[in-house]
Amino acid sequence: MNPIEEKIREEAKRLLDEKKVDVVIGYETGTLPLQTAPCFITSSDEIDRLVWNPCCKQNLAIYVHSALSQHRESQKRVKPEDKTDKVVAVVARGCTSRSLVIHLQEKQYNREDVVIIGIPCQGYIDKNKLEAGVDGLEVIAGSIDGDAVKVETSKGKTELSLIEVTADNCLECRFCNPVIHDFMAGEAIPAYESDDEFAVVDDFAALPEAERWAYFSAEMNKCMRCYACRNICPSCYCKVCFVDQSQPEWVGAGVNPSDNQVFQIMRMFHMAGRCVDCGSCVEVCAEGVDLRKFLKKLDKDDLDLYGHRAGAELDKEAPLSTFRENDEEAFIFEPE
Amino acid sequence: MTTETKTEKWEPRIVALVCNWCTYAGADLAGISRLQYPPNVSLIRLPCSGRINPFYVVKALQHGVDGVLVSGCHPGECHYISGNLAARRKFAFLQNFLNYIGIEKDRAIFTWVSASEGEKFARVITEVTEKVRALGPATKLIKELDCV
Repeated sequence: MNPIEEKIREEAKRLLDEKKVDVVIGYETGTLPLQTAPCFITSSDEIDRLVWNPCCKQNLAIYVHSALSQHRESQKRVKPEDKTDKVVAVVARGCTSRSLVIHLQEKQYNREDVVIIGIPCQGYIDKNKLEAGVDGLEVIAGSIDGDAVKVETSKGKTELSLIEVTADNCLECRFCNPVIHDFMAGEAIPAYESDDEFAVVDDFAALPEAERWAYFSAEMNKCMRCYACRNICPSCYCKVCFVDQSQPEWVGAGVNPSDNQVFQIMRMFHMAGRCVDCGSCVEVCAEGVDLRKFLKKLDKDDLDLYGHRAGAELDKEAPLSTFRENDEEAFIFEPE
Repeated sequence: MTTETKTEKWEPRIVALVCNWCTYAGADLAGISRLQYPPNVSLIRLPCSGRINPFYVVKALQHGVDGVLVSGCHPGECHYISGNLAARRKFAFLQNFLNYIGIEKDRAIFTWVSASEGEKFARVITEVTEKVRALGPATKLIKELDCV
């Protein structure tokens, strides 16, 4: 057990024993090797389920949102004297804490409804990179030993270096420490200060228009609209998503490449100034659609045009919830 | 529409999403002043440019129009004080993003036309029609119903 894991368990036990929180949301060992699953701990007997390792991938903020909003719904028809509060504790790395900041900015719940167990994070293992590292074979067993990932496949044992299989978004992360926290499980660590954070965007933008479209449409053709990306995204919490609406029917229900494209364009557009680059959508995508290349563009515009980074500061307004009189206007068409 | 666009007599079809208070009144003025502008544009009147969901632009392109024009009051002149300022940020993101994924920049054009600028409205429509004509018929993002 690593020291961070130990501290998470200690803090979770204290919070539950002192009845400070109703549930602790964290990671537990998954059913497959080198995988973890989110877990919901409500009693201190179960505290040993909590783990922390580079296989902890998901952004847990979405579960904080759903736990709190479900509780609020359940309290609607309760007599005032019987109403209860719910406090959720969450194991939060940098990106999770940024998503929590977005929720707080968007008035989804109050700061006192959530207890943040902050964790310094050096990145997680990317599913696609790991798969490439073992030539697409099924991982039968795996373990992490310091900077090495020991993997066993049907063709025998191999060892990969952790940094090699760390996800791209983690390697460019500027928020290795949580931006807000109530408790830190471990010392703050320096962030990866990538110089060309937006290289992926600049390279793509330099391609000719036709090639960009060809790439975009080919990627979106892979999409089977399982909506896993939407379901996992902490910023996608609408009660009724536009894809589920039938009046008007924004996105057709059938199998059509154009509807895939429109769905992805609009889902990504909703991420303008709200995407924390946690990589959860990429991680859950069953078809391996290259979503990050497009989401990162919105990130870049957000920073270039409005000097904003999603969820980086609690008291800085999101780009689309405010405006300035002298905003960038070069794109406005003026006739000769 | 797709069969029509394949013929030689192709004419660009443009949808203009305009605000009720400035651009629509500007279009009215252009009409009253007997100004000539190409008949390729269909105006859709909305309460404010801030009311224009960026999705409208994407949906219009999906339904096969060759160009979308979005126009509202000049900054500072919004009937609802700041609708167009909020809209400006959305459209900056939208145009950059659509261009980034490979849709031509001139397929979605954003401009300001006030109620007194009937002459500017006619010029905008003329120039936008020429820009879209130069691009040719839209081919991207269109929903081909026959492939279902």
